[in-house]
Amino acid sequence: MTKAVVELRGCTRDYGAVRAVDALDLTVYEGEFLSLLGPSGCGKTTTLNLIAGFVPPTAGRIVIDGEDVTARPAHLRGLGVVFQSYALFPHLSIRENVAFGLRERRLPAAEIDRRVGEALELVRLERAGRQRPSELSGGMQQRVALARALVYRPRVLLLDEPLAALDKKLRESMRDELRGIQRTVGITTIFVTHDQAEALGLSDRIAVMNAGRIEQLGAPREIYAHPRTRFVADFIGASTVLRGRALAVDRVAVAGAQLRVAGVTLSAGTDVELAIRPERVRLASAPGDNVVDAHVDGLVYQGAQTELTARLADGQRVLVFVTEPSPVPLAAGHAVRLQLPADAFMLLGS
Amino acid sequence: MLRAAVVAMLLFMTLPTVVVLAVSFNPTAILSFPPSGFSLRWYENVVTYPQFQRAALNSVVVTAGAVLLALPVGTLAALALERGRLRARNVWASVLLSPLVVPGVAAGLGFLMLAAALGLLRSRALLIAAHVALVLPFVVRSVWVSVRNLDPALERAAASLGATPWRTFRRVTLPLLRPGLFAALLFAIVVSLNEFVVSLFISNRVTEILPVAMFTYVVNYTDPTIAALSSLFIVATFVVVWLADRYLDLGRVFLQH
Amino acid sequence: MRLLLLPAVVVLAVFAAALGALFRWSVLEFIPGSLQTGGLTVANFRAVLAPQYLGAVRDTIVLSALTTVLTLVCAYPVAYALARASSRWVRSLILVLTLAPFFTGAIVRTYAWVLVLGNTVITWPVPMLFTERGVLVGLVHFSMPTMILILAAALSHIDPVYERAAASLGAPPWRVFRRVTLPLSMPGIVSGALIVFAWTLSAFPTPELLGGGKVKMSANVVKDLGLDSFNWPGAAAFAMLALALTLALLTVVGRVSSGRAT
Repeated sequence: MTKAVVELRGCTRDYGAVRAVDALDLTVYEGEFLSLLGPSGCGKTTTLNLIAGFVPPTAGRIVIDGEDVTARPAHLRGLGVVFQSYALFPHLSIRENVAFGLRERRLPAAEIDRRVGEALELVRLERAGRQRPSELSGGMQQRVALARALVYRPRVLLLDEPLAALDKKLRESMRDELRGIQRTVGITTIFVTHDQAEALGLSDRIAVMNAGRIEQLGAPREIYAHPRTRFVADFIGASTVLRGRALAVDRVAVAGAQLRVAGVTLSAGTDVELAIRPERVRLASAPGDNVVDAHVDGLVYQGAQTELTARLADGQRVLVFVTEPSPVPLAAGHAVRLQLPADAFMLLGS
Repeated sequence: MLRAAVVAMLLFMTLPTVVVLAVSFNPTAILSFPPSGFSLRWYENVVTYPQFQRAALNSVVVTAGAVLLALPVGTLAALALERGRLRARNVWASVLLSPLVVPGVAAGLGFLMLAAALGLLRSRALLIAAHVALVLPFVVRSVWVSVRNLDPALERAAASLGATPWRTFRRVTLPLLRPGLFAALLFAIVVSLNEFVVSLFISNRVTEILPVAMFTYVVNYTDPTIAALSSLFIVATFVVVWLADRYLDLGRVFLQH
Repeated sequence: MRLLLLPAVVVLAVFAAALGALFRWSVLEFIPGSLQTGGLTVANFRAVLAPQYLGAVRDTIVLSALTTVLTLVCAYPVAYALARASSRWVRSLILVLTLAPFFTGAIVRTYAWVLVLGNTVITWPVPMLFTERGVLVGLVHFSMPTMILILAAALSHIDPVYERAAASLGAPPWRVFRRVTLPLSMPGIVSGALIVFAWTLSAFPTPELLGGGKVKMSANVVKDLGLDSFNWPGAAAFAMLALALTLALLTVVGRVSSGRAT
């Protein structure tokens, strides 16, 4: 059983009439990479600020390594923070920036020098020591910010959307580098992001947040394959949500067709919401098991795939990713047949 | 601890004001604090004292004249600075702001000498001219800030919708400059009304403005009349500044977030 | 477009003419007892160095320096609170209390100190009115709004995230101030100090009323020479020197601000 490093117990944070974080419970384990994922305003950054000690909770407690640190100010929490804007001190050189935390801990100068050198090597910026932050590119600044936060071996690393300011290519390479460094150093990491692809690619676990609460917490595969709510299904990857009536434990009526479902248990006679990922829907050339008729509503060519929006007999729309080249000719208004595999359905809660 | 220091400093800055207000209501001519009673006689004295009446009138005339001249002159200059694509823009800016830099006594003495040379020793015209020069930097600065924040895309949009340059100025530019113009008006009035040093040099008892008259009084008499007059100034200023903050959000004028 | 500057140029030409007159008089020989003058001379400037004036010059510089330092120390906390104020109400309160004295005018403010320092409110253990101490207090009070506004503007340009970053790295609040906030606000401090110093050098109403004739700064000397003794050449020379010194100082301010601008 791995050790719990950070615990939030019933944390609430209000800003006037706005409840940014709502009775949140969260445990982060030793060495894991946990992402707080959600849209803007969901409370993920506020949660990070609560852990870091930049804002006090309106209610609840924050525990780090078994110690209640709720009343402890930020500078005594011993954490490492990488800010979205990097917040590198403009009046100090790169070396002085990285050395900042070590100087506060009153380490001898020679030791500081050595460790700063190591940290800069870790992020491959050994040559930039004497420069000022303004002379470095965004990606380099980000690496310095990381080095500065890691050099004094904090208990936990907190990252507030660190890749948001970078362009796409750079973001992807930094993402890999970040993961590599985290694995090498083995530090418990909490990562805030609104980018679900980032979260899926980096994390051991993801906490999907909405309106100050955690909607679902689990490993990336788990969350992607079994979203528990409509919000999670919508936010992670794309999905279609179909409304239908359960006929039996494993049968559902949707748009006038009877479909078999596997892997979920339905209550006969209830209205259900089932989500299905667009890449699981297949185009069929003939009627068959779990095949429904539809008409093409919209087509968006994306190169590797075409995003097809099809309308069922009862008006419900289904999103389909068709890998190019398409097995069946597609044109707006034409009829198509969609095969919805029984095991691709995900039952949604609220 | 920071809060304690701030409160202490704010008290320090406000203390004289409080004392002046209190003393102004003192019934006797001997200055005492706290005041021994309550009386409005010094306010009466202020209003009825002929030299103050004359000086107040002079102040109104001079300030009105200075402001009416400085506002358009300064606004045009600010527009030229920001949009005129001047090669030596910084030099022009320094020149326009230069009266701020000159010590009051130097300017005052210089104007006195100029007046003597031109035979204008008793004229109000030179006094107004001096005020315009002294007030101009404030007007230019206030309006310039507003002009700088004006998005040129808005004027281009107006043009694309068919507005002539004059109509664009009237319907788009001018309304958007309103905060800067209002601030400029405020600064101009306040600076001119309170202008003392230069005015001391170039006015005599006939033309002197209110601050100069107050100075003369303070030097010669010790009763609380000036306290009453000062209190009127203080109250008027507080109200104006408070209104300006409500309407303009002075935080945005002076700070940048 | 350049025509728009014309009216302003006219106004400033008048101003320049006044300064020109000042310069002209400063190089003319003084004939005591009249406003007539002799020929060109530099005697007036040399006369500035006479012992009775040198005392005033020394007092001016010392008082201005002390004022600058004291104002800096007193204004910084207020400026910091103003720049970091989270509520509009607090910001308004500080601004109104800072700006109102600024706008009430020199005579009103100085007179208020005459009352406070003159044993009306409290009996001071040492005499305050008509002493250098009193003038110093008045000068500091006079300079506070300017210094507060300049410092607050500089501080508001410092992103608060730097202070958070320093805290996250383990620096307690006063270390955050010393290692991050203070260095980053240095350009504002230097500008504010130089501006206050330059303006205080030419201060007139404060030493005039609070000094009671016993404390003379350079501006008072100019007034005495010009309006009381009618030694216009002498007054002009003094004024020219004050002007030159002020210009020199403010040029330095300009260099410093543009040099450090990021």
